[in-house]
Amino acid sequence: MKEWATKEPLSYPVLIDTMHLVADLYGIVNVPAALWIDENDKIVRPADSTPASDMWRSFSGVDSSVHHDLLRRWVRNNELDMDADSVRSFQVLPTNEVQEARLHRRIAVALRLQGDESGALEHMDKAEQLAPHDWTIKRGNMPLRGVDPFGEKFMEFVGEWSAAGSPGFKLGTGREK
Amino acid sequence: MTQLTVIDESGSHSLGRLGFGELGVNAEDFAHSTGWTLKPEGLCKGEVCVPVRDAAAMSNGESIDVAEFARITGRNMVSDSSRNVVALGEPASRRATAMATLDAPNFTLLDINGNLVSLSDFANRKKLILAWSSW
Repeated sequence: MKEWATKEPLSYPVLIDTMHLVADLYGIVNVPAALWIDENDKIVRPADSTPASDMWRSFSGVDSSVHHDLLRRWVRNNELDMDADSVRSFQVLPTNEVQEARLHRRIAVALRLQGDESGALEHMDKAEQLAPHDWTIKRGNMPLRGVDPFGEKFMEFVGEWSAAGSPGFKLGTGREK
Repeated sequence: MTQLTVIDESGSHSLGRLGFGELGVNAEDFAHSTGWTLKPEGLCKGEVCVPVRDAAAMSNGESIDVAEFARITGRNMVSDSSRNVVALGEPASRRATAMATLDAPNFTLLDINGNLVSLSDFANRKKLILAWSSW
């Protein structure tokens, strides 16, 4: 990642969030996700799954240009596509289970850094039992388990998540299906 | 000395374990890493103080019990005492209330060059947060 980010000078910082703090603070349930914060530090668009390009369009069914156009209009003309009540209605609020799962995941990350693989696995399992449909937890754990986050296990997860009614996906900017 | 890893929003802290209460740690270490100190007026972080009814249950001066601290401050806690790790976080109800204000909470993280960066470094500007994974 560092290689990519230093290939050419970036005009924005790239932060490392191993503990998923920003997901916790802002209700992010999947990546890639985007959210907007205005000059007065108010959230003016909630976290939403919005890809940077159409690379995965056939899979996600998301036309990335819809979010890009909205973003340009906000930056250039101060035009917002939703009011405060809409922002609230599209926020994904955490459940008790998800908040507890986040803590198990953080313990897993800390144990892994200490070289305790079996301890890390135990807490990853607990996190996934508590939050089986949270992408940041379930899919986020896959690389830590040595599982391909684009492979068979991932497709299995997508199936389970869809069957459960696609929980956590509320706004869906640019989604075609 | 045995160390207890305490994980909170500010990161992961290794604190000296002391035999007091359920999860006793060195009170000075705890104050240094979390910002919370037990004072006569209560449990204080900066200007904010939370009244503590039974201070003796939480601390004997030298040591502070992280479990009792979590109860008094209304924090979620998951601990693995056999592995000496505890994580503190926000309960769902409190997180939901904070989110509904639409006030963007500050955070500080390391960037890829090892520098600390905060949301507040970009005050008075429009900010786009992109969350992604390098996989």
